[in-house]
Amino acid sequence: MHRVLSDKKAIALLIAPGLFLFAFMICIPIFMSAYYGSTDWGGIGKYNFIGLDNYREILFHDKVFWTSLGNALLLTAATVFLQHPFAILLAIFLTHSGKYEKVFRTIFFIPAVISIVVTAKLWSSIFHPNYGLLNKLLDGIGLEALKHDWLGDPNTAIWCIIIVVMWQGFGYALLLYYSGLQGIPSDLSEAAKIDGANNFTLYTRIIIPLLSPMMRVAIIIAVTTCLKQMETVFLMTNGGPANSTQFLGNYLYKTAFSSSLYGYGNAISILFIIFCLVLTVVLNKVLKKDIGEF
Amino acid sequence: MTNSLSPAAPLPSTKPHKEERRKVSGGKILMMAFLILIALFQLFPLIWLVDYSLLKSGEFFGSSFLKWPSPPEWQNYVNAFTYGRVPRYFANSLIITVITVMLSALVSLMMGYAFTRMKWKLSGVVLSLIMMGMIIPIHATLLPNFILFNKLGMLNNMYTLILPYSAIVIPMSVLIMTGFLETIPRAIEESAVIDGASIYGVIFKIIFPITKPALATVCVLNFISTWNEFIMANTFLTSEDLKTIPFSIMKFAGEYSSNYGAQFAVMTIIAIPTILIYLLFTEQMTKGITAGAVKG
Repeated sequence: MHRVLSDKKAIALLIAPGLFLFAFMICIPIFMSAYYGSTDWGGIGKYNFIGLDNYREILFHDKVFWTSLGNALLLTAATVFLQHPFAILLAIFLTHSGKYEKVFRTIFFIPAVISIVVTAKLWSSIFHPNYGLLNKLLDGIGLEALKHDWLGDPNTAIWCIIIVVMWQGFGYALLLYYSGLQGIPSDLSEAAKIDGANNFTLYTRIIIPLLSPMMRVAIIIAVTTCLKQMETVFLMTNGGPANSTQFLGNYLYKTAFSSSLYGYGNAISILFIIFCLVLTVVLNKVLKKDIGEF
Repeated sequence: MTNSLSPAAPLPSTKPHKEERRKVSGGKILMMAFLILIALFQLFPLIWLVDYSLLKSGEFFGSSFLKWPSPPEWQNYVNAFTYGRVPRYFANSLIITVITVMLSALVSLMMGYAFTRMKWKLSGVVLSLIMMGMIIPIHATLLPNFILFNKLGMLNNMYTLILPYSAIVIPMSVLIMTGFLETIPRAIEESAVIDGASIYGVIFKIIFPITKPALATVCVLNFISTWNEFIMANTFLTSEDLKTIPFSIMKFAGEYSSNYGAQFAVMTIIAIPTILIYLLFTEQMTKGITAGAVKG
């Protein structure tokens, strides 16, 4: 058995296809980015090596880069402080909803499986100044004064994006917390009931604290997905108006393909990767709290 | 919680809190009302989408939210098919998605086996490298991959999408496969080897049938993400003939941009396949997502 399992040729054959695919499509491109990121390449023709100039420019002078990061932070905050509490509450409700539990669970997740192209266009239509659902709603309840070109106004556009992202990701957060609740042994709540705890104290004192490992997972996922947010923005506003809804992914795309600053765009790519890696590692460390076995 | 993908542990369908109370209380009614309200919020945009896809474009500017289509404007769907080039793009998407799903399932089965069963020094290092792929934003690979494909003259091919699509789903797929393989006892493989089976015989004749549930999860997740992928297709394809289904909606940007009914019809057509797949394989997806999240 051991001889078969340490057959070098077999191992190489099993690993090689996947590893090559991964290396060629993900690792090598990153090295290419690092290379081009230190040049002033404009997409065609010759280019010069300019060392770390791009990075210096991005970190110290590029306002849009920091706006993009700020937007990611805002989106993360909204997700963690608005979407997650709702998700936890609904996950708790779900466990008490009896035979409809599966129906609800399925419905909540449906937006998450739909193409972002569809959801982005759909919500663009909802926010549309002329035939949009939102303005019709305001008309209907007598608040015509609030009617608005929602995506055209820098003050409201970012909130529109946040609502769409939270709407689409809600089922996902709910599913995580729901499965977290399933992992909590039922004898704990039974014991608490016998000791005279009502539902409210049961949840605030016992269940929700026991949910904290799942909260940690869900928060890390939320932070990284918010940082990586691109498609919804690309399709709804393309970062506009006036970069008020810019996110890193979209910004590097725009820099390279619309402004033909390939060197600069690649430098943003590299910083983007570094931010994601560092944040994930730091969050894993910071949020790691030993809550004990149950 | 860590082995939520194991064959013996059926996921969330067991409800520990369920048997507690039977009486219908005011709190319960309030709770159900709240659940229904949120469910409506999640579904209403989609209901609106389907409803308006059956209206005439002129009716979009009426004052009602929902309008009973009388008669339903099926012409929207006909227009969607012709202006949006739906049959062509649908076929492209199907080919690309099916090849990607099969390729990534095969690769993740092979890698999963090598990572969990085979003995080699670099196993841990290579696995962590692959797992880093879950953190790296794929958008950061768009630019260098575009340059790479451009240099190699590979832009505008189906495999220009199949290769990166298969690559980006590897980390998650391998994670699910290794998690599942860890839970399978090794005795069967050992007796097969004693009976003279080769390593490939073991993987494809013994392990493959046992891992079918995990492979199904991997395939469903990868089908949905590949079918919905847009930004790479937007970057690496320029040829009209190769575009995938999300681009049907883009065809309405210019000359047909005021044909709202047909646009809503196109969006409905794009959304239906993934919703169907999800409804058919809800449990497999749920398992994959929670297992991936907890371990990742």
